[in-house]
Order: sequence, then C-alpha cells, then structure tokens
Amino acid sequence: MKKKIYTIGIDVGSSYIKTVLITYSDKQEIVDKLTEKIRKRNPVIVAKQTIDYLLEKNKLKYEDIAYLASTGEGEMVTRKKGHFYSMTTHARGGKFFVNEARTVVDLGALYVKAIKVNDEGKVLNYKMTGQCASGSGQFIENISRYLGLAISEIGDISLQSKKPEAPSGICAVLAETDVINMVSRNISTPDIIKGIHISVANRVIRLLTSIKAESPVVLTGGMAKNVGMVQVIKDLAKKVNIAANDIYAHTDAIYAGAIGAAIWGGFRYYKLKEVKK
Amino acid sequence: MTKLKKLIDKCELLAFDLNFKKAKKWKLENDNRVLVGYMPIYFPREIIHAAAGLPVGILGVGDRKQIIVGDAYYQSYICHIPRGIIEMALSKNFDDFDGFLFPSICDVIRNLSGMFQMSGVGKFAKYMDFPQDFNSHIGGKFYIQEMQSVLDKIKKINNVDVTNEHLNRSIKLYNINRRLIEKIYDIRQEFPWRLAAIDVYHILRAGMVIPVEEHNEMLELVIAEISNDIGEPMDNIRVVVTSSFCEQPPVSLIRTIEQSGCYIIDDDFMLGSRWIQGDVEEDTDNPLLALSEAYIKKSTFSSSVYDVGNPKGVRLIALAKKRKTDGIIFAAPSFCDPALLDSPLYQKACERENVRYINFQYHENIGQFKVIKEQVGAFSDSIKLWEI
Repeated sequence: MKKKIYTIGIDVGSSYIKTVLITYSDKQEIVDKLTEKIRKRNPVIVAKQTIDYLLEKNKLKYEDIAYLASTGEGEMVTRKKGHFYSMTTHARGGKFFVNEARTVVDLGALYVKAIKVNDEGKVLNYKMTGQCASGSGQFIENISRYLGLAISEIGDISLQSKKPEAPSGICAVLAETDVINMVSRNISTPDIIKGIHISVANRVIRLLTSIKAESPVVLTGGMAKNVGMVQVIKDLAKKVNIAANDIYAHTDAIYAGAIGAAIWGGFRYYKLKEVKK
Repeated sequence: MTKLKKLIDKCELLAFDLNFKKAKKWKLENDNRVLVGYMPIYFPREIIHAAAGLPVGILGVGDRKQIIVGDAYYQSYICHIPRGIIEMALSKNFDDFDGFLFPSICDVIRNLSGMFQMSGVGKFAKYMDFPQDFNSHIGGKFYIQEMQSVLDKIKKINNVDVTNEHLNRSIKLYNINRRLIEKIYDIRQEFPWRLAAIDVYHILRAGMVIPVEEHNEMLELVIAEISNDIGEPMDNIRVVVTSSFCEQPPVSLIRTIEQSGCYIIDDDFMLGSRWIQGDVEEDTDNPLLALSEAYIKKSTFSSSVYDVGNPKGVRLIALAKKRKTDGIIFAAPSFCDPALLDSPLYQKACERENVRYINFQYHENIGQFKVIKEQVGAFSDSIKLWEI
C-alpha cells in the first residue's frame, strides 16, 4: 500500500478559485476544500491566500504537501509543483465522484466540455463549446442578474416552470434582448429561467452526440450545482440514449477540477519517485 | 531586484525597441560606423563587424506596432513578417541605417528586398543568395564572392579597409558569442527552471541589436547567475519548439507553452545566432574562406537549406534526443512556405522514431492563445500521465 501523502489541487477559474486538500494513497480522500470568489482582486494573491488558509486550518506547512497541482489558469499559482490541463483534471475529478463514469461534462463559467474517459480516467475524446458566450455558466449568471435573482436560487426557480420560453437565437447578446422582451410580455420568471437552461442544455446534448457519449455521465463544474440545469439535461438526455438516472451531479461538482489536479499530483509524485529509483 | 532580473528587463527593452535607439546611438559615436540591418535567418555578422559596422537583426514588429500601410504591400495569403518590416521602413524606423541584407529564405523575403530597393530605404539593399551547393569549390566559392560584395558596398559608404586582422578579431568575438549561447542552452538542458525560455528569448534577441562585445558580457553574467542553484524545478515535460525560425512567435506564445506544462529545452527562435555549430576557424590567412567553410560544413539544419545527404528530419530527431526531450512542438507562422512544406517531412521522421509531437500555427501579432494552451496542455498531460 502506498504511504498516505497530502496533495493540493487548485483550480483557478474566471470567477472562482477552488482549492482542495486531499490525502493520496491507494484511495483518495478529501480533507478540506474552499471556494473563493475572485471579485476583481488579483487572482495570484487570492490563490495564495486560499492555499495558506487551508494549510493553516489543517495545521500543515507547504513542505508537508507532496505535490501542489494547478489547473485552469495555473500561471496564477506560485509555488506549484505541476500544472494539469482542465480537461484532464475534470475527467479525473468526475471519476472520483463516480468511478464507473464513461463521460464527464464540465459545465464551466466560460465553456462546456464533454469528455469521454476510460477506466483509468484517460481522456479518449472531447468536444467543447466555441467562443460563443451563450453556452456557458457566465451567460446564465448574466441573465439571472438581469432578472434580479441570485445565482444560487435560479435552479429551484427553474424547477417551478410550467411553460418554458426558450430564447429564439443562439447568440448570448440576442438572447439577452429576448429576455427583455419576455419580461415585457409578462412571461413568468421560472419560464424564462428554464428556457435559458434549455438553451444551454441543448448545446450540452449536441456535444454529447458528437462524442458518442456513453453512460454513466458525470456533470462537473459550477453549473452542475444548479438543480434546474441538471434536471433539464436529464430531461433531454434521452435524445442521446442516456437514461436520466445515469446522469450524476455531485454536491462537490464545482471542485472536480481541483480534485482531479490533486489526484493527478499524487499520481505524479509516486511516478517521479519510481523514475528516481 | 536581482542582477539577472535587471539584465533580463534590459534585454526585453532592447529586443523590442523598434526604433533601434541603442544601435543608432552607437553609430553616432564614430563617423565611420555603419548600421546594416539584416533579415532572418542567418547572416555572417562577422564581416559587418569587421567593417566597423553593427549588424542589426530585423525580426518584424511582433505585436508591438499596428500595421497600417504594410498590408497594402502583401496579399492576405502571405506571412506577417514582411508587412511589419515594410511598415517600419515607411514609418522611418530605419532612419540612420546604411544598408539592408535579405538572406535567401523564401520568395517573400526576396520580394521584400525589391521593395526596399524601390523605396530607396538606406544606401543599399542586397538580396543575399546563400549557396545551396555544399561543395567548397562551388558553393563555397560563390559564398565568398557574395560576402565580398557586401564588404564592397560597405566600403563605398565608410571607406574602411577590412583587413584579415579585423576579420579574425570579429570571428573570435562571434565564436565566443555562440559558445556562450550554447552554454546557456546546455545549462538549461539540465536545469530549465533556472531561466525561463521567454528570458532566454529576450537575452538572445537583444544580442541582435547591440554590439557583440556588450552581448558577450551579458551572456557571461547570465551564465554566472544560472550556474547557481536557483529556482524550483517543476513537473513539466521537456520539448523542442521548431519551425519558428523567421517570423517570430509572440512572446506570450512562448510563455503560454511553458505555462502549459512544458520546458522549452531547445528552439529555433533565434536560429541565426546559433546557425554555425561550433567555431569558425580563427587566426587564418583567409578569414572569408573560414566563414565560408563554416557555412558549408557547420551549418545547422533549416527549412531554408537544401539538405541532400544530411536529412533535416534525422537532425531534428538527433537534437531532440541529445537534449533528452519528451516531444517536439512544431509552431510555424501562418503562410510560412518553408516551414509548412517541411512539416510533413519532419513529422514523418517523428513517427518513424516514435517521437511525440504536436503542431499549430501562429502569426507574430496573434493575441489569443486559448486553443494553443489547450493543445499544449493536453500534449503535456498525455506524456506526463501516460508515458513517462
């Protein structure tokens, strides 16, 4: 059995920095985790502060961490040992939540990525949304802000919808104009929100189709916390022959990238040790 | 701020000073001094130096100058570097330059030399044909004549007689320069974290626009600094970046590659500074012959050179192995015919030797690196997690 070591994974996103401290051995366990909104601060400082906070809280020093791994905008992380690409880390993070996962969908703030993985968490194929903002979590966040809603409440509001009204265009800018029209036409807030969710979920389904997704599917990233979004994806998944109960969204889904980075960090720690021998 | 950091900052300023203030100031210090601009890739700078001149590398404008008139000179399917150079010429960035040399790389550079001649920029603009026949008595002889014609043009300007003593002295200085540069690459081969690839780039590029004596001092300082155990190693793969020998990659691209999990152990960004592999013979009675022999027998491989008998694919693989790298990144400028036409040949060699590679294209003023970051990140992870 491998000796238990501490590793840290830090996922620097466009809005949030997610950090996890894990113990890595033959099995991996989360010791602690932290999400911090960047809020116009210097991400380099925020990243350092989150790491320092986790270390201090758990009575650890930098030297106790066998491997500090970054993902996302890794250049914002000083003193790291290695960096992993977000596709690789989300794939591994998804497998951490559901070991049998064959597809991982990272529902991020800027992009959505559908990733096919094998038993070991190796990426076999992937597709992601392009530059267009209307396939991203940021788009949903913007719409919720226009409607005066907190991002944390839109999932539940979406579930109340009876007659969702999808925006006509696929462009985020046009969709935002559509939403203004919907408000003036007295479309209810739940119907608008669910319509927006359907619009994004349709993009997810198209990605799943193009990679020939297999079950089980794990949803990761910030949007996977949104119960309304998860429900819409489940509703539409039959289009790609995936049963709703084969789609999983863990409560820690936002940490998938950081968890994946921490696990790959542990993996590399032992691999480098072998190479040295 | 450390001595090294200060020096790197200075080099960055020098490297991207598109007005060549340092070179122009150098010229003003003595009446017989001349400034001769040369385009990529390689030019025997020794002969300019021996003729009381400063060879000034002209590597394009990168992302530091907006192209306004330059685009009117070239079709959309032509690479980016000549647009920036003609823009600089028309914006009077080359005022005080005496001449321009256009080494034979491709038709685009040949056409650029014609544009300079027609525009009347400088006192001469010469398209410098490099031999593609690597026999001393044919290609070598031709090359000596080409070098002599450059010396003749400079003499007409400053009336300086170039003696063997002058040439031998210059050869010595550039031999030192190449040795020092190779020393930096050798140190980085073992300890790439001590000096980032972007810093090496700035240091080498600065050397294209300042006197070699001063550059040698800088290189010595860099070597002294990176011979110390500085920095922390990261868990990165080791790569060779190639195909970027003419139009230069934006510095953010070099940074992106290193930030995506790769150490750039070798590259061809400043290939002209490293063209001759080893020393040019010193203290000879015929220094031009020595320079010619060095070109004929000690040139590195490049897409601009005919490679019969010494295939460039084999040489690239040998370089990757010598530097103990994990893979090769082919980063070629868009529409660069030499690089892109050679690409299948190099990649075939990689496949034959089971060397991992990726390829992508850029242009010097590209500002979006998201896709490249993904590609390089995935490349690094695939090697790190599944191969080494």
